Amino acid sequence: MTESPVEDSISAAAPLVVLSKVNKHYGALHVLQDIDLEIRQGEVVVLIGPSGSGKSTLCRTINRLETIDSGRITIDGHPLPAEGRELARLRTEVGMVFQNFNLFAHKTVLENVVMGQVKVRKVIRSHAEKTARELLDRVGVGAQADKYPAQLSGGQQQRVAIARALAMKPKVMLFDEPTSALDPEMVNEVLEVMRQLAADGMTMVVVTHEMGFARSAANRVLFMADGRIVEQNTPDAFFTAPRSDRAKDFLSKILHH
Amino acid sequence: MSPFNRTATASVLYDAPGPRARARYRVFGVLSLIGVAGLLWFVYATLDDKGQFNPALWDVFQYNTVQQRIVDGLLATLEAFGLAAAFSLTLGALLAAGQLSDHKPVRWACTAVVQFFRAMPLLILIVALYYAFFATDPMWALVLGLTLYNGSVQAEIIRSGVNAVPRGQGEAAYALGMRKTQVMASILVPQAVRSMLPSMISQLVVTLKDTSLGFIITYHELLFVGKAIASQPTNSAGFPYIPVVLVIGPIYIALCLLLTALARWIEARGRRGANRRTSTAA
Repeated sequence: MTESPVEDSISAAAPLVVLSKVNKHYGALHVLQDIDLEIRQGEVVVLIGPSGSGKSTLCRTINRLETIDSGRITIDGHPLPAEGRELARLRTEVGMVFQNFNLFAHKTVLENVVMGQVKVRKVIRSHAEKTARELLDRVGVGAQADKYPAQLSGGQQQRVAIARALAMKPKVMLFDEPTSALDPEMVNEVLEVMRQLAADGMTMVVVTHEMGFARSAANRVLFMADGRIVEQNTPDAFFTAPRSDRAKDFLSKILHH
Repeated sequence: MSPFNRTATASVLYDAPGPRARARYRVFGVLSLIGVAGLLWFVYATLDDKGQFNPALWDVFQYNTVQQRIVDGLLATLEAFGLAAAFSLTLGALLAAGQLSDHKPVRWACTAVVQFFRAMPLLILIVALYYAFFATDPMWALVLGLTLYNGSVQAEIIRSGVNAVPRGQGEAAYALGMRKTQVMASILVPQAVRSMLPSMISQLVVTLKDTSLGFIITYHELLFVGKAIASQPTNSAGFPYIPVVLVIGPIYIALCLLLTALARWIEARGRRGANRRTSTAA
């Protein structure tokens, strides 16, 4: 198996997100234990693992929606700021897509995508609207621009949420179980947008239970259990020959129905 | 979805009645009707006994000066209410913002203010303000008292409304890089106000009715005027208490209905698509 030029350029690129010795507790529960992780420019990292393994928490620490107790997180060489304007500025660089979409319920679809650009990036409104319409077209919901989120299907809402995050021109995108709240027939329309994004070279961290997506779009699969990264490998190697017992056990449960 | 919802709601509240239940309800209905009619007759008979329906008692309302006094009283009531409503909503927003602050001293101070003025009986507050600061200008004692009390209640309403907005709304806004003030002003408060509007309007209705406490500190509002009219024996028929109640009462009721209609209008205007279905249904 030869490495593709894309993978070559990824392994040569500088690390964009670096976590070192990251620890977090929820009371007595040690939810992240000495996490070390480097994510390179253009890399698509998929986090899988049983529920409660800390994968969502790990994802949310990268834009500090969850604080950490010890360790260090840097993004593009800069340590994650603790608060204030610097933190807000960093968050514009890190796009986030949530399990429950979290579109602003009182704003139209277009306004959802425009708002961040105008309020945070200080883009002129007409430019922001143009960008928003382009992005909405790109994720295939351009026709819904003037509707309210509640009038859209889950899959459409999630695609709007992706467009909203992309509008900030982030360096890295975090996806926290983006398809877990969707009806089965809507999962693919969202995954398709994410595949496209990955093909366009976006750096992505994806927490998911969609093994098909992990197989086809990921550069690297991280398997987490009990707050630790138990195993990481290319998707092919991980799915065909998992090394750890935990991963074997997990895969046997989800792959053989 | 919607017809489903309707039947679901109906059957949660109570079972659709069967034939025997329907017959029973009919009997209850007739009995209640008789009961209510009897009560009304009792009220009428008692008042009539005391001569309150004597036409002569209503003569007083034919005087222009009396009519003018009622209009003046109404305007005074509306003035106090308008000021108190505007100030209490402003104060409520400020105190709510303070209670939701990240800074502990601010949070504590605002919570203390809210708890104090919410617990303080409004009448005591108004009387104290009147004797202490506003002996020559009772309107401001009334307005300030109403503002402090109702502002505290409005603050609690707004605060709980903000807390009731799904957590993800704020998280999504922070994730876009918004600062706390922006998240509050453009995401949380607009949604909170929308869902809390009925409670806020009810509190405004309370504010409106409580302007009548002004009569105790000699503020010439509607109730003061009514009491003044009622306590003048204009002729041999005696004091026109009931006629005054029958005139002043409906004015208050009409004002409250107007406020409620306004609330309903704002609500209908604000609903436009938002939150018809919870966007966070997982």
